[in-house]
Amino acid sequence: MTTVVHVLNQFFAGFGGEEKADMPVAVIEGTAGAARGLQVQLGEPGQIVCTIYYGDNYFHEHKDEALKALLEAVRSRQPQVVVAGPAFNSGRYGMSCVEICNEIAKTLAIPCVTAMHEENPGVGSYRDFANPNVYCLRTAESTAGMADALKALAKFALRLARGETIGPAAKEGYIGRGIRRLEKAERRGVDRAIDMLLKKIHHEPFETEIPMEVWDDVSPAPALSQINERKLAVVTTSGVVPWGNPDRFKTYRNTHWQKYNIAEVKELEPGKWEAVHGGYNVAYMNKNPHYGVPLDALRSLEAEGKIGGGKLYPAYYVIPGNQGSPAVMRRVGQEIGSDLRNEGVEGVLFVAT
Amino acid sequence: MSKELEKAGLTVAIVSAMFPVAEQVRAHRIVKGVSIPHPCGDPSLSPELDARLRREIVQTALKALETEVKEPTVFSPNMP
Repeated sequence: MTTVVHVLNQFFAGFGGEEKADMPVAVIEGTAGAARGLQVQLGEPGQIVCTIYYGDNYFHEHKDEALKALLEAVRSRQPQVVVAGPAFNSGRYGMSCVEICNEIAKTLAIPCVTAMHEENPGVGSYRDFANPNVYCLRTAESTAGMADALKALAKFALRLARGETIGPAAKEGYIGRGIRRLEKAERRGVDRAIDMLLKKIHHEPFETEIPMEVWDDVSPAPALSQINERKLAVVTTSGVVPWGNPDRFKTYRNTHWQKYNIAEVKELEPGKWEAVHGGYNVAYMNKNPHYGVPLDALRSLEAEGKIGGGKLYPAYYVIPGNQGSPAVMRRVGQEIGSDLRNEGVEGVLFVAT
Repeated sequence: MSKELEKAGLTVAIVSAMFPVAEQVRAHRIVKGVSIPHPCGDPSLSPELDARLRREIVQTALKALETEVKEPTVFSPNMP
């Protein structure tokens, strides 16, 4: 017999809609709401020992407390597997399902499975966490897909509880989170690569062994005529910051950005600035921070009028880019972009390491 | 990140030694940097030549900002 804990929001647990979104974490022994449907799908081999639920808003507004209560409830039941959702296209719910699963898998080492629509923002966090013990299944956009989702969750949960080996996302049907596992191939890499290349040349379908992130396309911004009349700014992912790293940037996976004043600064002297970045050797940059923020060159061009007087924005923007997830970097880009626009900047010199 | 800046309506010149990556993610104005740990300059040069190279890189970036482009375009500074 497999023991299962089901985690739901207040709505799917059957306690009400938006007016109940502030309710704290609570536990019902056995099943409630959608958990009844999951129990039917689990059938004989699985038993839901309890249903844990929480208000959609409560979770996000009291995250630490909510996670603590959830962990405690799960820990005391010691289930073999935890199921959260399905969340379909509900953003708050999807995000909470992913965060809860990640926390349970991380802290209690219990495998978790959730399910939602691929465009749920929770999927971005799921990919960022890339927790090997958390799986997210695809669902329809709306609750019309409830029956299918519960069926798939039940099947997957039982497999996880049994400790079955779960194969790659493409084969198993869960949403990939970019984890690459070593596997033994029959043929050498060079032979496989040449096969792929030949197929590509002959316009035949082939499957890459290293899928890349898909990037959305933006149309090019217009050229800036009379550049010496334009307001310009420097943005960098090099990690050059004032000496002592006052804003405590990490060497990897940063989630916030800063801007540092250079209004009165003619050049960046070594010993007053340093580079914080775990993805390259920062020795050169520490010796000469201009490799990341070329202020000396900008000032001399300013003196010659090639950059207008006062047209260089009096601060530069920085986040150490190392291992920044695309989702975080997109958000950071949006935030810096909107700040630059508010400051009337038109052109950006972006130094990437 | 540079693409989000473009989305916000800013014209961006990205200086990067990994310019093929910048091309792949379809940044539009790409300036060849010297190397990953020192995109804007070359520590193997004398300080004077290094500073001159850095100016050349920044001027190439200004030129890139002034240039109309339709697709990812790589601008190469004159390296010594």
